[in-house]
Amino acid sequence: MSKQVPETIKKQVKRSFNSKEVKKEKNQKRMTLLKDIQSKAFKRAEKYEKEYLDQEQKLVELKQKALKEGSFYREPEPKLAFIIRIRGIVGVPPKPRKILQLLRLRRIYSGVFIRLNKSSLRMLHFIDPYVTWGYPDVETVRALIYKRGHARVNHQRKIIDSNEMIYDKLQKYDIICMEDLVHEIYTVGKNFKHANSFLWAFKLKPPVGGFSTVKRSFVNKGEHGNREQYINTLVKKMI
Amino acid sequence: MTTQQLRPIVSVFPIKGKVKTIKQVPLPSVFSAPIRPDVVRFVHTNMAKNNRQAHAVSTTAGEQTSATSWGTGRAVARIPRVKGSGTGRSGQAAFGNMCRGGRMYAPKKVWRKWHRKINTNQKRYAVCSAIAATAVTPLVMSRGHRVNKLPELPLVVSDQLQSLTKTRQAVKFLKFIGAYRDVEKVIRTKKTRVGQGKYRNRRHVLRKGPMVVYARNLGIKKAFRNIPGVETASVYTLNLLKLAPGSQMGRFIIWTESAFKLLEDIYGSWEKPSKFKSGFYLPRPVMVNTDVERIIKSDQVQTVLRNRRPRSRKYGKKIQRADPYEDMSVMVKLNPYYKTKLQKQKELDEKNKKERKEIVDKSRKEYEDWLYFSEEEEEEEEEGSDEDREIEVLSDEN
Repeated sequence: MSKQVPETIKKQVKRSFNSKEVKKEKNQKRMTLLKDIQSKAFKRAEKYEKEYLDQEQKLVELKQKALKEGSFYREPEPKLAFIIRIRGIVGVPPKPRKILQLLRLRRIYSGVFIRLNKSSLRMLHFIDPYVTWGYPDVETVRALIYKRGHARVNHQRKIIDSNEMIYDKLQKYDIICMEDLVHEIYTVGKNFKHANSFLWAFKLKPPVGGFSTVKRSFVNKGEHGNREQYINTLVKKMI
Repeated sequence: MTTQQLRPIVSVFPIKGKVKTIKQVPLPSVFSAPIRPDVVRFVHTNMAKNNRQAHAVSTTAGEQTSATSWGTGRAVARIPRVKGSGTGRSGQAAFGNMCRGGRMYAPKKVWRKWHRKINTNQKRYAVCSAIAATAVTPLVMSRGHRVNKLPELPLVVSDQLQSLTKTRQAVKFLKFIGAYRDVEKVIRTKKTRVGQGKYRNRRHVLRKGPMVVYARNLGIKKAFRNIPGVETASVYTLNLLKLAPGSQMGRFIIWTESAFKLLEDIYGSWEKPSKFKSGFYLPRPVMVNTDVERIIKSDQVQTVLRNRRPRSRKYGKKIQRADPYEDMSVMVKLNPYYKTKLQKQKELDEKNKKERKEIVDKSRKEYEDWLYFSEEEEEEEEEGSDEDREIEVLSDEN
C-alpha cells in the first residue's frame, strides 16, 4: 500500500525546526550538558564542604591562639543576614513600607538574604519593629535553599527542581548547582547580588510554638529586631 | 489583472426538445466580480426607499380648538383646556400629545426625506455583485430557489425564448428546463398578507420565482407576465431590487443567449471598460488569490519564514518536587555529593565514637586502677592502727 505523501508536507518536514533528527540532536546535547553539570557539582560540593570545615577550624584555632597569648580574637563581623518579616501589611508607615518593599518582604513570614554593610544596616534599623533578623549558618542557608528555594524564572516563581535551572540562569556567574548557590549566598561572594536576586523571597510558615510578643524587641523578651545566631533556631521552626 | 486567463464556458440550452447543449459561450467577466453582501445590503436598503410615497398627518389635526390653560389655583393640571360650556368637550384637555384628541408628538410632515441618493459607482458595484451571485449555486439555493433539477447555473437558453408569445408556451418551457419547481413553490406558498396591508390593496404575498433576462422583447414579456413569481427584465436595465430581493443575493435567473453575451459589453471587464456605462470598469476584489492556505504553504513564503520558536513553557505547569530532606532521590539530583557526604559523616562519626570509646575506656581503667591501689593502701593502714585503738579504749574508761 503505497502512501503518497504530498510534496508540501515533505518540504515542511524537511524545513521543520522540530523534526525528529533535530530534536534528537538537541536532546543528546542536553544530556551531555546535564552530565557535565552533575559531575562538576559533585566536585564543587566536595570542595565547599572542606572549605566550611576549614573555616570553622580556623576560627577555633585563632581563638585558642589568642587565649594562649592572653589577648582576644575579634571575629570578623557577619556579612550575611537573613531577615524574616513578622508583622502584617496593615498600618505600616510609608518609610518602613518602602524599605520592606525594596527588600522584597512584601508579606508576613517572608524571608530574604541580605548582605550586611553600612547602608543595609541603616535600612534594617528602620524596619526593626517589623522584622526579625540574624546571622544564618551554613545548615540554615542550605535548608532554606533546598527546601524552600524558588527561582525567579521568566517573572515566575518556580521551585528549583534541578541544577539545570540554576545553570541556565547563573552560568555566567560560575554558579551551576545548588551547592554553588549556597556557597555564594553564605560566603557573600562576588556574585551575591545575582545569586540572591535569582532566588524568590522565601515564603516561610508561621513558627511552630509561636512567638512570644512581636511588639517587643528580641532583646526585651520579644521577637523583633536582631537576634544574631538565634535566627537559626527560628528558621528551623518556620521552614 | 485577471484571476482567470481562460474564461469558463457556459452551455446554451434549447427551449424545447431535449435538454442538451446546443452551443457554448464564454462566461462574461461580471460573474467574477467580487461578491460583496455589505455593498449590496447598503445599496438595497437605500434603493428600496426610492419608491416610497409621501405620507403625513394633517397639519391641523388636534389643533382645531381654541383651548387655553386655566392656570394655577383650580386643582387641575395646567394643560390647555377647551373653552366654553354646555358640552362634554368643554374643559377637556387639548393640544398636548398626551391629551385625548390632541395633536401627536412631532406630527409627520411630507417634507421628510423619502428618497436616498446613492453613488452611481456603488449602485453599479452592487449590481455586479448581485449578478455574480446568481451564478453561485449555493447562494441561489440559500435564497430559497428550487434549482436542483436545472442542467446548469448560470442557466442560458437560446434566443428563441424571446419570441415566445403565449403563456402556455412559457410554462411549457419552464417545465422543460426544470425551472417550474420554483414556480410551483411560489404558487404553493401564496398567502394572505399579515397585517393591515391586506386591506390596503396588498392582499396577497408571493415568493419570488425565476427571473428571465432578455436582450430583445419579442413577446417574452407578455408570455411570462401572468406566471406567478416569474419576472422579466431587459439586460440593459437590471434592477438590484430584483436581482437581490430583500438584499439577499442569488436570484434564480434564466438568461437568453444574447442577453448573456451582452453582459460583457454592459459591465465590461477589468481591462476593457463598459460600452454603456461610461468610464465604468468592473470592481476589483481586494484579494486576487483567495487561497490563503496555499499562499502560506508556498515555497516563496516558507523559505523566508524564521524558525518556529519552541513552544514556550512560559506559563507551564507548576513543577512538583518532594522535600529533598525527606526524599533522597531529589536530594541527590540537586546535590550529587550528598550521599558521599553522608557516608563520610558516618565514617567520621564512627571514628570519633571509637576514639571516644578508647578515651573513656582508658580513663575508666585508670580510675579502677586507682581505686584498687587505694583499697590496698587502706588495708595496710588498717593493720597498723590496733595500738591506737587500745589506747583509745583505756582513755574512754577514764
